[in-house]
Amino acid sequence: MRTRSTRRATKLGIAALVSFSLIAAACGGSDDDSSDSGDTETTEAADGSESTEGGDDSGDTETTEAEIQEDEITQDTVAPDDAVGDPVPGGTLRYGLEADVDGLNPTSSALSSPGLMMSQAVFDSLVAYDVDGNYVPYLAESVEPVDGDFSTWQLKLREGITFHDDTPVNAEAVQINFELQRADPLVGLAVRPYYPETEATTLIDDLTIQYNLLEPNAQFPKALTGQLGYLASPTWVAAATEDPTLNQQPVGSGPFVFDTRSADSVTRFVRNESWWNGSAFLDAIEFVPVTDPDSRSDLFLNGELQAMQTSNPATVEDLRSEESVQNIIDETGEETFLMINSTVPPFDDIRARQALTFATPKQQYLDLITLGVARGADQMFIPESKFYNPDVVQEADMPDEALALVAEYCAERGSEENTLLGTTTCSDGKINIEYQWSGPSVVGTQTADLMNQNWGNAGFNVTFDELPQDDQIQDAALGAFNVVLWRQFGAEDPVNDRVWLGCDNIGVISLNWPKVCDEARDTLMAQGAASTDEAERIGIYQELSANINAAYTYVFLNHTIWDNAFDENTLGVCDRVAPTGEQLLCVTNGRNWFDSIWINE
Amino acid sequence: MRFWLQRLGAAILLLLTVSALTFGAMNILGDPLFNILGPIAGDTENPENIALIEAAEAEYNLDKPLPVRWVIWLGDFVTGDFGVQFSEDGQPPVSDLIAERLPRTLTLLVMAQLMAVFISIPWALWSASKANRPVDRASTVLTFAMIALPNFALAVVLKYVFAIQLGWFPLAFTANDPFWSRMWQMVLPAITLAIPAAAVYQRLLRTDLITTLQEDFILTARSKGVSRNAVLFKHALRPSLFSFVTIFAINTGALIGGALIVENVFLIPGLGRAIVEAILREDFPVVLAIVMIVSAAFVILNLLVDIIYSLIDPRVRAA
Amino acid sequence: MTDLTRSSGHDTDHPHLDDAAASLVPAIAGIESHEVPGDGTEVAAKRRVGWGFWVSVAWIAMVVLAAILAPWLPIDDPEVTQPTRVGERPPYPPGSEFWFGTDQLNRDMFSRTIWGARTSLTVGFVAIAFGMLVGGTLGMLAGYFRGKFDQGVSFVFVVLLSFPALVLAILITALLDRSLFTISVTLGILSVAPVGRVARASTISFADREFVLASRTLGAKNPRIIVRELLPNVVIPMSALALLGMAVAVVAEGGLAFLGLSVEKGSTWGKLILNGASSSRDLQEAPWMSFAPIIVLFLTVLALNFAGDRLRDYFDVKEAAL
Repeated sequence: MRTRSTRRATKLGIAALVSFSLIAAACGGSDDDSSDSGDTETTEAADGSESTEGGDDSGDTETTEAEIQEDEITQDTVAPDDAVGDPVPGGTLRYGLEADVDGLNPTSSALSSPGLMMSQAVFDSLVAYDVDGNYVPYLAESVEPVDGDFSTWQLKLREGITFHDDTPVNAEAVQINFELQRADPLVGLAVRPYYPETEATTLIDDLTIQYNLLEPNAQFPKALTGQLGYLASPTWVAAATEDPTLNQQPVGSGPFVFDTRSADSVTRFVRNESWWNGSAFLDAIEFVPVTDPDSRSDLFLNGELQAMQTSNPATVEDLRSEESVQNIIDETGEETFLMINSTVPPFDDIRARQALTFATPKQQYLDLITLGVARGADQMFIPESKFYNPDVVQEADMPDEALALVAEYCAERGSEENTLLGTTTCSDGKINIEYQWSGPSVVGTQTADLMNQNWGNAGFNVTFDELPQDDQIQDAALGAFNVVLWRQFGAEDPVNDRVWLGCDNIGVISLNWPKVCDEARDTLMAQGAASTDEAERIGIYQELSANINAAYTYVFLNHTIWDNAFDENTLGVCDRVAPTGEQLLCVTNGRNWFDSIWINE
Repeated sequence: MRFWLQRLGAAILLLLTVSALTFGAMNILGDPLFNILGPIAGDTENPENIALIEAAEAEYNLDKPLPVRWVIWLGDFVTGDFGVQFSEDGQPPVSDLIAERLPRTLTLLVMAQLMAVFISIPWALWSASKANRPVDRASTVLTFAMIALPNFALAVVLKYVFAIQLGWFPLAFTANDPFWSRMWQMVLPAITLAIPAAAVYQRLLRTDLITTLQEDFILTARSKGVSRNAVLFKHALRPSLFSFVTIFAINTGALIGGALIVENVFLIPGLGRAIVEAILREDFPVVLAIVMIVSAAFVILNLLVDIIYSLIDPRVRAA
Repeated sequence: MTDLTRSSGHDTDHPHLDDAAASLVPAIAGIESHEVPGDGTEVAAKRRVGWGFWVSVAWIAMVVLAAILAPWLPIDDPEVTQPTRVGERPPYPPGSEFWFGTDQLNRDMFSRTIWGARTSLTVGFVAIAFGMLVGGTLGMLAGYFRGKFDQGVSFVFVVLLSFPALVLAILITALLDRSLFTISVTLGILSVAPVGRVARASTISFADREFVLASRTLGAKNPRIIVRELLPNVVIPMSALALLGMAVAVVAEGGLAFLGLSVEKGSTWGKLILNGASSSRDLQEAPWMSFAPIIVLFLTVLALNFAGDRLRDYFDVKEAAL
């Protein structure tokens, strides 16, 4: 029989494995809608995003950021007539997800996009984003800094709310959730750098909890809009620690209650009749994982599913050409890029990194792999974002310059050792590197072939290493890679992406995958967190983009294009309203909420 | 009797060897600690993680030598404890996975065999009756083609013609659909398996029929005025069925291998897909369990064939 | 599919069964499939390989030649993205410019199919060569010496045959690496048992013949007998199996590739087929991407099977010995 301690260790271990794989959002086939695509939801990497229409095939829009929201959504939305009428309760929504979900415990499983989608049905977040990107208290009644000091925040909950199992929603519940997240070996990696060892949180009264940060963060509440802000019943979480199979049966406070999970992971939720924020319209939601994107859109177009998510460019293109489909397109999430490890030869030398960057066939990649559907990326912000820096351009498609740099590097450092390959850094005047991606994935193989073609002509000998996803993530975390294909930076507010970039996040297991520690960068990010002046923050993050660009550890390829598609009778997804009346965000990183959706028969 | 004991003993020895080889391969070439704990297994600096590592080692007996671990696993296995799935959250038991997936693979196999039999027997009878005429030769060429086309290629072709172009079948298997809907979804994959099997059966049966037709008793029947077709059905078929039955049993083993590919192409969540996923994720208990199940199936099938054959041919028993 | 590597785990006591198990042709060795039934004559038809044999050999030779000469043939580089056409996105259908069309990265499918043959056929060849070398030797020695050694070797064969073949291949390639060498040797290991059984059976049937007895009476030692008397006789039926075995190995590599587990760089037929068929959308809009390699693979395997089959008939290869 297992002892309690070992079982917990195991649970954490397994959760760690799962959570790790999902934290990292490693993607071999970046536009492959397989279970490879994960999400960067953890701790402060809260995200939300503005829905943005990608436009036509050219994929450019010129409207300003604030206006995009309303225009684009209604453009794609089929507004039948005004005689649609008011929302009516009833109906079951079958939603096609891109992958299966293992567990729905926000304190122990870092959740991927499908997992977060389901979480948004069963949990409430403490804080939410409105359509303008401001934070709005949601489950919490208020989140205020104490005496204007942005390193101390008090969060006050609403009275009289209970979880689905009648446990009260109180400050103690919040604290329990927080402590469990912090204690998780992997999720905790993103929490611990920002809090003291003890007294990270203080219970002020039954409904009020105080967060004691190490450094001021004016955007702190935004950290509670994502996974870290999903409040789970402490009774359930405690039980799940004993019996990890309970991770599949989440208990939150949200508009829907977990009902059943059947063979092959079809998970069903039913309406919560005693929800604190009114009542959802749908009777039930069934989440159906369909890993193959073509099958998923097939089922959707045949009416077997009423809604689906996809980030596969070909599918997005198809869905957008269907008249009766409402597409909510979102490009403000992650970017796909090549990530270069700067701690081991040859890429510890900036010339080698530059050479690889120049040798990368970005245009061909956009044409042939993302089919012109996803937009090219130069930095982590899309052009419509206020933080966008128009002077930062991702260099690529310059093979001659690459060759020159390779020659220079090899002449000087060609006889060092590439520890990954066990060869010298250069052979026959070409730099030896290993390219990793997660597979088996057909798109991943195509990408690898494309890179190889071009890098090979520009001075590199490329060895392929296609690994199962878990192995790939391990290698990335431990720094055992030369260059990988990766996906990251999905946070709505860049303050929450610092977990991938800071010196604090480097360790034996490192969320700062390229292990770049740059004091200047850290200073910038700290300033960005502490400042409340929008103009100042814009300047800071523009500088950050320039800093990242100059480090040559990321070769940005494209912005991920997410499509949440609904059939013509499923309405209201963007009609979410906060208790205080603000219009709330519609979709973020490929997922939406469910409390305002209704079915028009 | 001794013969059967020997056979049984050999079968058991065989299964033990297979299990030992698989167990050894996975543990030597893979890293069980990593599969249980994830990247933490490599982080030996952090004392918290070290504690986790040691706890995992104790729980999974990783500190003991390999043969001891094998024996422990074997003991668990034969008492029905297949272990837990390392790579799933909450570590549900492997038997859950098997219980969920095995019926689908079995359904696929049963459907495929039934189709193959229903196609091959009439076809063989027809061929035997038209032996060596041009249609028969054409049919021989056809059987060659049916066997030569690899199952994954055949699957692609069938998928293209019937699911995509004609739209008769759906692209995906949905586990939640009602029973008949799921059966229909299995038809195309079953056909993929059935076609080469049918060709093999047809060839064998046809030849046996032709040979049987040369026997004296057939001549007798014919000379008594029994029609050619009646002779075929009533007199020739039965003796020819013996080897048919035995090849049928043996071929089931081949179909299990084919099911692996077919399940992956048609995205049916059966044992075939489960084992490929498990190998990629190095989920040891799952891999071991499925390998053992499949090997046991082979062994049992072979034993069955031995039994059948010994009933026919007494010479065999005098080993 | 029933093929060499999927023969039963039976030993030699069931001639009917083994022939049937492995056989693509009549269970009764030596009698061609076009016996005229029912007329009572028992003349064994004169053994000929037939014109079909020569057509098959011609095709095989052509494919092998193309594969060997690929680097010097005037075809496009299989890995290079050809210039795209304005306003039209790849993949392009077959036409005068690209005989087999192009794939999603606008690479010439005709060229890729030929280069794919290099890898697929190499794997097939190395696998069966390994199988014949190792399996043939073991089988011959087992068949000649009998006794405990024979029991041991036969047991090894049975173990190998009882292991679900594809699973073993996947296991090894996933755990080790996916180099050409590993894959070829893995498939070679899988062919050891079927080849070994035939070698053993052949050896047993020959070992009792007069010329061996004669040789022994004249004082020849075992090695000499094995090499001078048995080997030449055993090699002939085994070479008939070589073609069949190669077909099986090529198909097995294709199966591995189709699961995404074949060599990482370069094309093989299985990889090409997977590339064209993994997405239903691709399959629908650009079927040539998988159909071109499917057709070539099919014809090659058909040719190998047919030719090997006629050879086996011709040499009257016994799978088992009484």
